[in-house]
Amino acid sequence: MSEKITIGPFNPELEESVYFKLVVDENRVVEEVELINGFIHRGMESLATKKNFMQNLILTERVCSLCSNNHPFTYSLAVEKIAGVEVPLRGEALRVIADEVKRVASDLFNLSMLTHLAHRHDLMKETLEIREYMQDLKETIWGNRMDMSVNILTGTKYNLNDEKVTFILKTLNEAEPRIKALQKAYQNDAVFKDKTVGVGILPYEDALEIGVTGPVARGSGVNNDVRVKAPYSLYALRPSLQPKVTTYEEGDVYARAMVRFGDIIEAIRIIRDVVADLPEGDTYLEKRPHIPAGEAVVRTEAPRGELIYYLKTDGSQKPVRMRWKVPTYSNWEALKVMIKGDKVDNVTMILNSIDPCISCTER
Amino acid sequence: MSEIIPKVFRINTGSCNGCDVEFVATAFVDKFHIESLGVELVEDVKDSNLLVITGPLTAKSEPFLKKYLNQMKKPFVVVGVGTCSVSCGIFRDSYAINGPLDKFVEVDVNVAGCPPRPQSIAEGIAKGVKVLNQKMHGEVTPKKIDTIFQDFSAPQTFRGKMALHEGMCTGCRTCETVCPSTAIKISKTDDGFTHNIWHNSCCYCGNCAYFCPTGAIHSTNNFDTAKLSNHKYTDINIAHIEYETCTKCQEKFMPPSRGLLGKAYVHDDVNKLNAKICPSCRKEANFKRMYA
Ligand code: SF4
Ligand code: SF4
Ligand code: SF4
Repeated sequence: MSEKITIGPFNPELEESVYFKLVVDENRVVEEVELINGFIHRGMESLATKKNFMQNLILTERVCSLCSNNHPFTYSLAVEKIAGVEVPLRGEALRVIADEVKRVASDLFNLSMLTHLAHRHDLMKETLEIREYMQDLKETIWGNRMDMSVNILTGTKYNLNDEKVTFILKTLNEAEPRIKALQKAYQNDAVFKDKTVGVGILPYEDALEIGVTGPVARGSGVNNDVRVKAPYSLYALRPSLQPKVTTYEEGDVYARAMVRFGDIIEAIRIIRDVVADLPEGDTYLEKRPHIPAGEAVVRTEAPRGELIYYLKTDGSQKPVRMRWKVPTYSNWEALKVMIKGDKVDNVTMILNSIDPCISCTER
Repeated sequence: MSEIIPKVFRINTGSCNGCDVEFVATAFVDKFHIESLGVELVEDVKDSNLLVITGPLTAKSEPFLKKYLNQMKKPFVVVGVGTCSVSCGIFRDSYAINGPLDKFVEVDVNVAGCPPRPQSIAEGIAKGVKVLNQKMHGEVTPKKIDTIFQDFSAPQTFRGKMALHEGMCTGCRTCETVCPSTAIKISKTDDGFTHNIWHNSCCYCGNCAYFCPTGAIHSTNNFDTAKLSNHKYTDINIAHIEYETCTKCQEKFMPPSRGLLGKAYVHDDVNKLNAKICPSCRKEANFKRMYA
């Protein structure tokens, strides 16, 4: 006897609104998966063409607050490509610092939700407590815990001085040992491993075929980190910054979690390297550059994987068309492979393991 | 009389994540003291008496929100978290948005912010709990509640409510142009300009301050944004920038900004430079001085 089960759309276990219709067999194993989307659709592509280039710096930040630095960053890269602008080196460095701080915070949040779903409350609390280091850092340096408002066209709004650099380093020095201890705690936790090892498997071949990106790809042995494969900004100018990526072969929920730990540790290393050798000079070129007619495509590595921006301009103050392809768009498809044949009780955990960003995908 | 336990259920009506993530942080990180309110997070909306609603209410969410609301037992309290829930914020002009929330349900407490600080979210929930207690005893939503959590110290650099130095503003409208959520409105009056900042529409991005050529508009670290809903349309920073009357021709004119003059004449006393004559009389005087 099969049974129909619905999850969502407003489910306290899920941070965002999604709606699943599942068919499960008598052993509560999932036979069919139907995903219903559209709850977070805010018409942002249309809004982007109604707002001018300055307003879009902030609008793109609100695509998703978890990777809220990557969107304006990538958008700015696209505009700068059209305008033929070279961002001052210090601006590039400051952008990368902000980006990696966001990566740490975003990955930690995902891990905390994972342990929450695995009912490992103390691990979850510790993960969230450690995330607070990044939140305090963001609030002190950039003025908000989520939306940092770092990027402007041709550079960054913010600047660093010695005092701020010291604060960044102090924060990292305190956070890093706790993160490493936390990773050990995850690795040694029988309950956590029991619930994540061998669950929601995405085999290597499927990962390639579906074209998954970011930690989901790396958890299945596919390394396509954009910072390494097609470096941009300071990652291109200083190859030593490119991350030594972590990959796992297993393709399960556990592997993806461990890849995120690897990303976090590397992000911390990158931030330290950048501030240790911070280029002097301006943080931006022009406050309000002229943007000619043109077309550009750029891609970057967001915490969840590859982010692509397409932008078309006509010389006016607003984009003619802007479109973005977000990591979750391709990772989402992999859910069907991961969920099918697994237990229905694991569904929310598998969903969480791709670190879905529905607000990016549905925008 | 038994103690009322506030049972919280969160509904995301299309948020960008920011508010929901920060709600999770508020709920589970000890330093925000939410456990002192005795709240319980419930799994089913039917068991809840305190709804936390985020997001600008997308078209697709609307019927589901109504369905969930219909399952609830009265009385209950609604706390809207984030600028989106209060006014649809940055998404207001989109075809896909049916909000704001108070079109469909009576909202008791609004917490502006994009996203709000967890301390503001905690304050909003604390106020919600007070309202719940009153409603449970058959009373209506009060018009005023005192601040519950007192620790409101944000770093100096925190981008809170925007404010304006009236004497520095020239009404140039740069801030209005770069503001992504139409939170600034500058209107002409007979004797100058009115400059309004709507805190409940603002997404606290700091664009206005960054692009303002005179340094007139600036952020403060004030984040007292958890307010009862009767404050929704009154939480505004209103400033009047008045014309001056030219001492020569008596015409009204917009005086140059002291902020800008200070930048241009670094070695002079700006107050003395700023003789109260209009641009055309000044041109005439200069012409005479040089060529007459
Ligand atoms: S108020 Fe801001 S942070 Fe909250 S959901 Fe809306 S855009 Fe996101
Ligand atoms: S606040 Fe600044 S940008 Fe806005 S009108 Fe006044 S001077 Fe112009
Ligand atoms: S901070 Fe300024 S620019 Fe940004 S939304 Fe508020 S008023 Fe507008």
